[in-house]
Amino acid sequence: MSQYAFHFDGTRCTGCKTCEFACKDFRDLQVGFAYRKVYEVTYGETTKDSNGCFATSCTSYPLSLACNHCDDPACTHVCPTGAMHKDAETGLVSVDAEKCVGCGYCHMACPYNAPKVDREKGHSVKCDGCAERVAAGRKPVCVEACPARALDFGIAEDMAAKGERAAIAPLPEPSYTNPNLYVKPSVDALPAGSADGKVVNPLEVM
Amino acid sequence: MVSGIDTALGEITLVLFTTLAPSGVVAFAIMGLFIVRGGLSDEAHRRIDLFLAIPLVVSMVGLVASATHLGNPANALFVFMGVGRSPLSNEVFCAVVFLLLAGVYWLYSFAERPHRAVQRVWMALSIVAGIVFVTSVAFAYNAETIVSWYTVYVPLGLWLNALTGGPVLAMLGLRAAGCASAEGRCGRMLVLCSVASLAANMMVYAMQAFQLPYLENSFTTAAELVPCYGGMIAAFGVLGGAGIALVARTLRDGDPSASREDGDVRGFPDSRRDALRLTVRSAWASALVLAGIFVMRFAFYLMHMTVGLGI
Repeated sequence: MSQYAFHFDGTRCTGCKTCEFACKDFRDLQVGFAYRKVYEVTYGETTKDSNGCFATSCTSYPLSLACNHCDDPACTHVCPTGAMHKDAETGLVSVDAEKCVGCGYCHMACPYNAPKVDREKGHSVKCDGCAERVAAGRKPVCVEACPARALDFGIAEDMAAKGERAAIAPLPEPSYTNPNLYVKPSVDALPAGSADGKVVNPLEVM
Repeated sequence: MVSGIDTALGEITLVLFTTLAPSGVVAFAIMGLFIVRGGLSDEAHRRIDLFLAIPLVVSMVGLVASATHLGNPANALFVFMGVGRSPLSNEVFCAVVFLLLAGVYWLYSFAERPHRAVQRVWMALSIVAGIVFVTSVAFAYNAETIVSWYTVYVPLGLWLNALTGGPVLAMLGLRAAGCASAEGRCGRMLVLCSVASLAANMMVYAMQAFQLPYLENSFTTAAELVPCYGGMIAAFGVLGGAGIALVARTLRDGDPSASREDGDVRGFPDSRRDALRLTVRSAWASALVLAGIFVMRFAFYLMHMTVGLGI
């Protein structure tokens, strides 16, 4: 088995969201659905000293995130039907619509906000790593669309050589699910599990 | 502002299920204990059997409600593929086993000459299945990544809810069955159990409330998802307390002369009006207690939050 993984380069990403919209377009997703989302993390404060001078530590950084096709996915663990499954060959996690009951437990358990129930379709939907494109020797559409080349996709060992395993905020500690996302952090990135930075575009990503 | 209201409203049928089913199962088990204990007259046995329909219907309504939140119920049979792995599959499996055992018991009780020994064993099995089922509901969301639910307070709260609502609902069933036991020591014990569980659960919820501000991800804290948690706990206490007080009052107002011996049936038709009045009052009491539990189950879904990016 060759486990596939994403790589995110935080030093390159500008937060333009081309990845997100390329995916939406390619997958023809309706309003309210996005398989890749860009989280905008902000922290810091502006202070005024006794001399009346202002200083600020405010900063912001984007994180482009889709399903991380984890080694130990929370979604497949809780899925009652086995519809949410991990492909034995590629390690990509996807939904078998013929089995999914649409209970939404995968959505509730995933710490990366990846699966979501589409009530019209009656089953969960999520990023499948563009499995068909990958099988055809191409990369996921989000990766190819990124104008800054901040995203990459490939064999997990190759991606691991480019960064640390999903260890920046707002991501949780990678030990929960062992995500196949490897990150080169920007200088301002907070460590995984830190709640000091807040996601300031919740209406966009939830 | 980030809010948990969408989750709670989206899962409103699960709020209903987790309110009704555990209390219904405990009520069924309490009424069933009279069957298992034995010593009932044929008439008392028959009437308790008949009015087991009340907790059974309450449980069934909960289960049917839970099924309505599914996106594609046609695939429901696949749920059994996850038994042993998925807590939700375990819950559904336990629900089916309990309802099968309890339902078949109830249907068998309509046989012309039901075999008492078989009924007692069957009921004992149903009670054990019911206990396992309630426990499976308590642990249905036991996922490490859901930080606000992965605490001891969740299963504890659900079981104490069941022990608060179950006895009151059982009193309704026993009243409807005209069982004199609802008047005596058993009735007082049921009220005491309900009061103690309500008090204990308020403490559990209070301790959980103290923990909520410390459960935090990059969106919010669990406390901010349930900004009115203190008020909801108070509402739980008021509604639960009012319901239990109402059912306790039926004990006081019950006609002592009708309590001939444990498990016997009240005289008919002389006390029919009194019995009906007390039964209706017990129904209101059950509705109040279940409303209180509903408030806390709503709060449970409000506070859904993962360790990472889920609310």
